[in-house]
Amino acid sequence: MHESPIINLGGFHLDLSVVLMLFVSSLIVFVLAIVATRNLSVENPGKLQNFMEWVVEFVQGLISSTMDWKKGKAFVSLGMTLILFIFVSNLLGLPFSVVTEHHHADAKVFGQVIEATSTAHFSQLEAEGKEAHAELLWWKSPTADASVTMGLAIIIFILCHYLGLVKNTKGYFKHYVQPYVIFLPINLIETLAKPLTHGMRLYANIYAGEVLITVLLGAGFWGIPGLVAWQGFSIFIGAIQAFVFTILTMVYIGQMIETHDEH
Amino acid sequence: MSILWENIVISMVAFLILFLLLSKYAFGPLFTVMEKRRELVKQQLDEAANSRTQAQAFVDEQKQALAAARKDAYDIIDQAKQTSVRQADDIIAQAKNETIRLKEEAARDIVSEKNKAVEALRNEVSSMSVAIASKILEKQVDEKDQSQLVDQYLKEVGGKQ
Repeated sequence: MHESPIINLGGFHLDLSVVLMLFVSSLIVFVLAIVATRNLSVENPGKLQNFMEWVVEFVQGLISSTMDWKKGKAFVSLGMTLILFIFVSNLLGLPFSVVTEHHHADAKVFGQVIEATSTAHFSQLEAEGKEAHAELLWWKSPTADASVTMGLAIIIFILCHYLGLVKNTKGYFKHYVQPYVIFLPINLIETLAKPLTHGMRLYANIYAGEVLITVLLGAGFWGIPGLVAWQGFSIFIGAIQAFVFTILTMVYIGQMIETHDEH
Repeated sequence: MSILWENIVISMVAFLILFLLLSKYAFGPLFTVMEKRRELVKQQLDEAANSRTQAQAFVDEQKQALAAARKDAYDIIDQAKQTSVRQADDIIAQAKNETIRLKEEAARDIVSEKNKAVEALRNEVSSMSVAIASKILEKQVDEKDQSQLVDQYLKEVGGKQ
């Protein structure tokens, strides 16, 4: 499979493709949002403003379906950023990808050796009886990288538990031993499983989509109808996964700040 | 699949920066505008409700005013009818009185005229009869005696009538 263009900056492994794609996604989302909200009008909104307001209302709907709206109002901005960023990220890998092939050892970027093309790596490949070359994937969906999706999931995890501790301290500690103390291990596993499934679900869906696109490209001319269908479906998947990630975020936050006072 | 902690950190930082930038420059103003629109719509709905109640109040007022005006009109017509009836009665009564008075006057006139005529006729007749008598009888009769004589005859004639 494709390797990542990673350079080693004094022990810090910088994945250039992730940095590039995160930057591109963020830039697209930011420019889109800024353009949409540039000429804001109360009485006569433009097309892009209408679209943005539709997204806002959509996210408001998500939040109010998972928690008390008074408490959830603060998370609209978070939900908007999540859904836009993930949706754009999911789509970025669909139209094309950029792969570079390296047969010579020690290919350099910014004066740094890319690890996958290092002499050590190549000699290891030769020792295993494989061809000494590397295919570096530069352009892909950032969400097709498990590290990125796990990064997002960890942000949500930290946010959830912070909110639980600050806004619902008693309920936060109590929920680990619900309904009985013996359930503590199960609750702990559940707590850890949540961010894991949260991030991995998104990664797996998008990564699988890109793998299948690569496979269909390998089929040449006869892969075109399949490619057309799968790319269309991937847009759908991208939207669904952005939606799923956002609503799960709201569900997790809702569970944490729910005080059970009303019951 | 490989997970690099460096990538996790980078993506977290990238997402947080994006979140902060979007919240400040894009979503903040957008939410403000949406809130403003919500308030505008609410305000306009309130205004519409207000003006509807006002319009309703005006209509009620107008209805009352109309009813009052109609009642006034009826009263005025009624009064006018009564006045006209009374006036007509008065006029008729006056006319009746007038006719009665005129009739009486006429009757009185007739009587006095008759008396006058009778008086004149009597004088005429007396002088004529004197002339006739003096001519026929050619008798020297005193004018005064003759007049007494004629009066006597005439009374006898009048008494017989």
